[in-house]
Amino acid sequence: MIALVDCNSFYASCEQVFRPDLQNKPVVVLSNNDGCVIAANKEAKALTHIPMFEPVFKIKEVLKANNVTCFSSNYTLYADMSQRVMDTLREFSPNVEEYSIDESFVDLSHYPISQLDAIANEIKDRVHKNTGIPVGVGVAKTKSLSKMANKFAKKVAKNNGVYVVENEEKRTAMLKYFSLKDIWGIGRQHKIRVEKTGAKSAYDFTKVPLAWVRKEMTVVGERLWRELNNFPCHEMTIKVDKKKGIGTAKSFGYKLEDYGLIEEATSYYVAEVADLLRQQNSAASYLEVFLHTNSFSNTDKQYRNKIVITLDIPTNSTIKLTQEALKGLQKIYKPGYRYKKVGVQLFGLVHDTDIQTNLFYQPKKSESSKLTKVIDELNSKFGKNCVKLATVGNREKQWALIKEHRSPRFTTQWNELLTIGKSKS
Amino acid sequence: MESGKANLVEKSKKSYRVKRPSQTGFSSPATHYTEPRIDLNDALINNPSSTFYVRVIDDSFSEFQILKDDVLIIDKSLTPKQNQLAVITKEGAFEITRIDKDSKEEIQLWGVITYIIKSTL
Repeated sequence: MIALVDCNSFYASCEQVFRPDLQNKPVVVLSNNDGCVIAANKEAKALTHIPMFEPVFKIKEVLKANNVTCFSSNYTLYADMSQRVMDTLREFSPNVEEYSIDESFVDLSHYPISQLDAIANEIKDRVHKNTGIPVGVGVAKTKSLSKMANKFAKKVAKNNGVYVVENEEKRTAMLKYFSLKDIWGIGRQHKIRVEKTGAKSAYDFTKVPLAWVRKEMTVVGERLWRELNNFPCHEMTIKVDKKKGIGTAKSFGYKLEDYGLIEEATSYYVAEVADLLRQQNSAASYLEVFLHTNSFSNTDKQYRNKIVITLDIPTNSTIKLTQEALKGLQKIYKPGYRYKKVGVQLFGLVHDTDIQTNLFYQPKKSESSKLTKVIDELNSKFGKNCVKLATVGNREKQWALIKEHRSPRFTTQWNELLTIGKSKS
Repeated sequence: MESGKANLVEKSKKSYRVKRPSQTGFSSPATHYTEPRIDLNDALINNPSSTFYVRVIDDSFSEFQILKDDVLIIDKSLTPKQNQLAVITKEGAFEITRIDKDSKEEIQLWGVITYIIKSTL
């Protein structure tokens, strides 16, 4: 049996662990640059009259009037809290698949079925006690069913955050509760097709003949059908596949005209993606740089462009990639515009030992990779960008994301610890 | 730092393996007796995933000999025993209390204080 453990409004919960004054109060977390709401807790979701998906500047006043506390995203904190939740789950099973920052599949096949209800409740209680993060637990024989059980655990109050599909009766009851659109992994097109057969609930879907599913919904639909009928098709995956492309793009905190600053931001992003590239022992064959203005602005002149650069030989050297990216940037940059975003993408990734050199160019591999290795080690020991290329510059404050309401990094920085005392403002 | 691991509260990766002698003249007679140096994490942190640090910013808790600038090590996984110190939340604020099982007052536990780090300088 597999459990799907899902943290309740994870980002907001992370913030609330360190803010007892916000218990049972509405909390939202904003996207990078404080642009829009990306997470809301139960209390905030209950304020249905607030259009949460509107840009923040449009709803700022309503949020304030309703006493909603806003946080800029603090991914450093969320990553650490996530790790704490995952580590706690590993106390129950050696086989934990981190599905996303706030969800994990936990293999519970080593427990007898009769104990699963108790175990699932203990998972919920222990994670909450040890980390402060509330979770829901769904347990079933297949991943698709455990995902659904998790939803059922949270949606139906009497389940109290835990639902174990330990028998046919409980499986049927759950499937009958959900409609087609609630099924994890069913697309809109497929949903419409299934509806034409007269099926309404998830339960009806499991009764549609397999031959029809196979014909109309391909192998993906067939797997889903089987999984919901209690036949596992998706194994626990522990090893993460290498990424096929690596990229990053973030809006600037301010609109930028100055080429120098854009160049520094670009160099910064190249260093970030090149580091990920080396960590998976890959090298990139192509590099794309793109640049654009704020397309939402009515007053700014608009411009967007991108360039794809083919590298002579695949590389993962920050130095080489930065050189190429900046050459590309120079080609697409036009003065006189107020730019909002620059991004870098690496693709055509190959394993760094299978780099094909060409006849006329033998890279001096040893020198540049030795240097890169030393830089990586220094940065790993002393902090990100402790050693960097001069093109990264030191004016990050002039272009980096705005995080006006970011909470302290309570668990990773000595000088940002949680504080206790009565003289606190 | 290695991505993904960067933020873990982790015990040090010490090695008990005997190191090859590094002396250029006589090999050290201590070669087979070396041990990794003492690491505070071993003594102070039992459960890294439930351990949090909190800095005290004034002398409001001097009755517990907890003073300004001390750092509390708190383990949320523990269940407090009689007379242990704990951080609790009361009316939306953090407080420190000594656990009294006989007290009728209900408390909202945040975590048990396991150690207090004080500077004597």
